[in-house]
Amino acid sequence: MKKFYVLIVFLGLLAGYNAMGQDSIPSIPDINNPIWGTKKLMITGGAEAMFVSDSSQLGFRNIKFHLAPLVRLGEKLFLISEIEIETKDGVVDFGLEQVHLNYSILPDLTVYAGRFLPKFGHYRGMTGEGYLNRFPTDPVGFGDGGIGPMVETGLGIVGGLQMGYSKLNYDIYMSNGPQLIANDSTMAGNFEYEGFLNNNKDMAFGGRVGFLPFSNSSLELGISTLQKAKTGDIHTVYNKVGASWMAYDLSYYHFLAALKSTVRVYGEYKTMNVDQARYTFDSTGAFKSNKSSAWYAQGSIRPTTFDLEFLNNFEFALRYSKFTTPADAPWGNAMINSAGNSIHQMAYGINYWLAWDCLIKFAYQQQSYAGNQFIAQVIYRF
Amino acid sequence: MKKFKIISFIIIFAISATVFVSGCKTPKYVVDKSGAQLWGETCARCHNAPSPATYSDDQWSIIMGHMKIKAGLTDLEARKIESFLKSAN
Repeated sequence: MKKFYVLIVFLGLLAGYNAMGQDSIPSIPDINNPIWGTKKLMITGGAEAMFVSDSSQLGFRNIKFHLAPLVRLGEKLFLISEIEIETKDGVVDFGLEQVHLNYSILPDLTVYAGRFLPKFGHYRGMTGEGYLNRFPTDPVGFGDGGIGPMVETGLGIVGGLQMGYSKLNYDIYMSNGPQLIANDSTMAGNFEYEGFLNNNKDMAFGGRVGFLPFSNSSLELGISTLQKAKTGDIHTVYNKVGASWMAYDLSYYHFLAALKSTVRVYGEYKTMNVDQARYTFDSTGAFKSNKSSAWYAQGSIRPTTFDLEFLNNFEFALRYSKFTTPADAPWGNAMINSAGNSIHQMAYGINYWLAWDCLIKFAYQQQSYAGNQFIAQVIYRF
Repeated sequence: MKKFKIISFIIIFAISATVFVSGCKTPKYVVDKSGAQLWGETCARCHNAPSPATYSDDQWSIIMGHMKIKAGLTDLEARKIESFLKSAN
């Protein structure tokens, strides 16, 4: 209930600010001058393919194709959708990534409803997507099987606000939320993050606030949260198990004239804290403490105006990531990989931009939980 | 963890309160930024920016509608960038 009041007050502040900043209050639509403009449709999307070589495999995999129809239904009404087809686990998987309707109530306040990519941190839904990701893989703890929501179904508000020479962007939502998996031999204590349905009568509340302190928007600091007081199935002993997810992110972009290069620095730290309960995964196995964390730090440099022109399209990247899971969880690192509760990965990348929207990535990964890997990926966005 | 949540919400409220108070005090040099300058600063933060000639006016209208939502742009930023892209394609 406290979370609800906090959300309401924050919404009130934002609405109040926007109301103050407006020159005029939107009028009731004139029947002779309808608000529905000409519908505009654009099909975007992308495709990617991967090659992997390590001690146990050599071959092509992770073929992905996705279509993202965007529809401008009117001056204030916008539809965003995305479907995805991939062969990640060796079978063809079809997924509905997102479909949500967006309506601009005020210039800096848009309401949306549907299925969406929640802004939890800066990686998911932003820098981890497609050719924005300078590596062919996710940092450990940031992809499937990692921490935090992947897709949500619900409604929310989004926008950006100017505050002096700084900026603030926000995305706050209410959704079905993650669902606790109980009494499962492999996943007890972890969560189902697809969010197609709600498993009880409690909603999740989440969001992200990003702060850009400099007038050139080169630096962004973000804080994200997702809270759900009841995550277990209704009418079960796990119903009242609550959980809290937090993420703190940083992104920095700048052109360094001295190096004639653009530099990007990304970092994110996120946690998952679940109420203590007896998470049973087989006839004798159970664990109680259920806390996980993951973080990564990444830097990349692209000599865009270097004198040697053939270097202009290369980008060099470095990334370190670490993922810590509960000691006795059946899905924990210690159980799966026998590598201890914490696993880490060091990745070295060389990318080549064939075009502004077409990237070839080469990466070498040293992984504490598995052997070293060489990965190549081609990715194209249209 | 409870302390973390409390601190996080305090930070959020502090920032939003700052917004509420100082929202009208944007320096002139920020207000006067051109669409081209905003395009360079805002779009390039995440991705390579395509040439304005890559897309038509209608396509830029759709793209900027999407980017405003995805990247949390202010309305002024989105309109200025869209105007610049349409004028330069």
